[in-house]
Amino acid sequence: MQRKLISGIAGILIALFIGAIIMIAQGFNPLTTYGALFNYSLIGLFPLATTLRNSVPLILTGLSASVAFASGPVNLGQPGQLLMGALFATIGGLYLDLPPVLMIPLLLLLAMIGGAMWSGLAALMRRWFNMDEFITTLMLNMIADFLTYWAISYPIFDKTAFSPMTPQISTNGWLPVIGEFNTNVIVMLVAFGVIYFVFSRWTAGYEWRITGQNSIFARLGGCKIDKNYVTVMLVTGALAGLAGGLVVMAGPHRFLKGLGANYAWDGVMIAVVANNGLIGTLLYGLFFSSLQTGALGMELITAVPSEFIQVLQAVIVLVVVAGRGTLDILINKTISRRKAREHAT
Amino acid sequence: MTKPIIEMKNIIKVFPPNVVALDSVSADFMQGEIHAIVGENGAGKSTLMKVLYGLEHANSGEIFFQEVKIENKNAGEAIARGIGMVHQEILLIPEYTVWENIILGEEPTGLFGKIDQHAAREQVKSRIDEFQFNLDPDSKVEDISVAARQKVEILKLLYRNVSVLILDEPTAVLTPQEIPQLFLELRRLAKNGKTILFISHHLEEVLELSDRITVMRKGAKIATVDAANTSKDSLAQMMVGREVLFSSQRIEQIPGEVVFNTENLSFRDANLRIRLENVSLSVRAGEIVGIAGVEGNGQLELVNCMMGMSKPFQGKIVVNNCDLTHAEILERRRFISFVSQDRSKMGASIKDSILDNVRMTHHRLNPKFTHWKGLLLNDVYARKFTAQIEKAFAVVMGSADNEFRSLSGGNQQKVILGRELLLDTPFILLDQPTRGLDVGSIEYVHETILKMRGQNRAILLISADLEELFRIADRILVIFRGKIVADLPVAQTNIEQIGYLMLEGREKINAAKTD
Repeated sequence: MQRKLISGIAGILIALFIGAIIMIAQGFNPLTTYGALFNYSLIGLFPLATTLRNSVPLILTGLSASVAFASGPVNLGQPGQLLMGALFATIGGLYLDLPPVLMIPLLLLLAMIGGAMWSGLAALMRRWFNMDEFITTLMLNMIADFLTYWAISYPIFDKTAFSPMTPQISTNGWLPVIGEFNTNVIVMLVAFGVIYFVFSRWTAGYEWRITGQNSIFARLGGCKIDKNYVTVMLVTGALAGLAGGLVVMAGPHRFLKGLGANYAWDGVMIAVVANNGLIGTLLYGLFFSSLQTGALGMELITAVPSEFIQVLQAVIVLVVVAGRGTLDILINKTISRRKAREHAT
Repeated sequence: MTKPIIEMKNIIKVFPPNVVALDSVSADFMQGEIHAIVGENGAGKSTLMKVLYGLEHANSGEIFFQEVKIENKNAGEAIARGIGMVHQEILLIPEYTVWENIILGEEPTGLFGKIDQHAAREQVKSRIDEFQFNLDPDSKVEDISVAARQKVEILKLLYRNVSVLILDEPTAVLTPQEIPQLFLELRRLAKNGKTILFISHHLEEVLELSDRITVMRKGAKIATVDAANTSKDSLAQMMVGREVLFSSQRIEQIPGEVVFNTENLSFRDANLRIRLENVSLSVRAGEIVGIAGVEGNGQLELVNCMMGMSKPFQGKIVVNNCDLTHAEILERRRFISFVSQDRSKMGASIKDSILDNVRMTHHRLNPKFTHWKGLLLNDVYARKFTAQIEKAFAVVMGSADNEFRSLSGGNQQKVILGRELLLDTPFILLDQPTRGLDVGSIEYVHETILKMRGQNRAILLISADLEELFRIADRILVIFRGKIVADLPVAQTNIEQIGYLMLEGREKINAAKTD
């Protein structure tokens, strides 16, 4: 745990340093740039609230990828599952009208069903036709992309709009805002808590974890790995779907073109950086959100374009992932060198 | 044989983080000699040769080749200096011909880098004739036998003009009939001035072939002896480090009812090749039945069928009158404790904690390991259980939260044994339970198995180690090409007879009289 924390913080600092060199090479002042970046994402209530709100889809899709990768299935369908979740929540919000106490949970449930349905499709193809979820989830992303595009262009198109989007969902399905803070963070934290508890304390989570490390051992030990596979696919699909539902319910309150943005792929990236650790996913999700949120402020104050943040993210991924392996190798090498010296004398 | 061609001095190799594979090993090899390196699994013989060949890098120590200090950074450098190694697995391109495989990477080229096919073939042909290898340079590798492929590997190195040939267990892939031919060719190479280093743990062939023998044990060199002045017994003693116990220490015990049996168990692999044919065997309470056989004769398939990892197309598996042939794995685990031969692949999840490894299977079968009707793990009980194993099986472990791989091999096996034996099943399946363990741990495992026999459990022990079988089994079955070819009480057989059955699949004619 401590080693992870050290290598993570060291990785981020080194990445920021490399980012600074890139900026200097292009004639920008790194100190004012980083100052503006974090000023607009962390300092003050409104920036902080925005960072938190933006972190929700990142963390939930990251959680989806982390749980899937750590349990075995290579679910790369978060983008599609997010879109399906968003679509289901939007449809619910357009055609139902219940008091918020019922409406909000119902829409969240619909979002989860939408995502789980999409990942469940991949799971079924694996069970019935032995098709690798690595491929099918990626393919289903495309289908979800065009299916939702079609849905918001024709059947649930807002006739008053000039670009593909749906009308706004019923205000009863809007997530309440407390001061500056959107309650989508609360939903995310509840989902995180449930998943963390299931993954680390439940018998099912135990079997998922062991299967992810060594599926033959788990199978010989009596775990029903086929059933677990389907469950993990459904759960991780539901998480990504929930992310989609929350994007609609917290933000534009409608499904508009390009809604999914890069959230899901960033989520997968966060899972990779966090090495599929759940707490790591939460922390890196918050950090990446602060970078993305601060990017606009940075662009406003300095001449550095907001695209620079993508460069910085890429550097962080490379440094942290490469650094993790290197640190382990270095530590092991030092131990073995010491041992060799003991034997030489 | 005057000056050594290779001298290795004080080689130390530590595998990260802290496994000492070579502990200050010094050895020398003469020009034109056949030098065997013998030792048990994990003694360091392969590592020593890999250091010489540049595949592994020593932490300290020096290597002299023709009195010049060298350091091979990779295999390419070693070959350029004239040191080549043939690995156990043969790495050739099946679709290419013999000569194409041999020149690959060192092709004689003509204009515009075009391969001079004629010259290449002629060069290969002349090498084959020079060493009288009896190979057709134009046949495709996929069409020739394993022994011939091995020759191609050797020729590949000779084509690159190596003067030192390292062979890693060259006889392991050969049939008994093919071995004399290989020996003949190796002797001829040595006569032509090549130095041959070969790794083996078959003492008889070592004595037959080599001029000198280096014995290794637990990463240290024990001695280098002239083959002419030693014997199989003294080699064995040096290898194991003590007098090899052929006698068993078990107390006679009359076995009870049949607990486990299979009837006509047959299994086909994905290519429809029959891997198990009508295997019928039974194990009784308080009995240890051993299955002897050369690896790859159906042991793996038998284990997989018993454990439910593969489906037999015919036959039955019964424990305590329960038909388990088509049962789910969890159902089987109520009746079968299983120790696999491969700890890291089948027996444990090495990156997870000891605690998580210990509660496997118990978490589904024993309600004490969970709360809320099996929904939530009971960590308190699992920790108590881990402590129980730590005590009862004399495991040296730090915290139960440490990674499983932080334990030594012997301790890992003790933890696995503890987990499996405490399932309290009537039948215990052990697949090479002492593989890769040091002598002390082997002894401990054997004592534990005998203790289980005393508790009237039925035990099936699959082992490639005949000494082990003779030490603790009551009855030995021999498996050969998927069939059980013999079923003999230990008291009425001997190692030679079983060894012959393992290799040939049938009794030696007039065995009793000629031996």
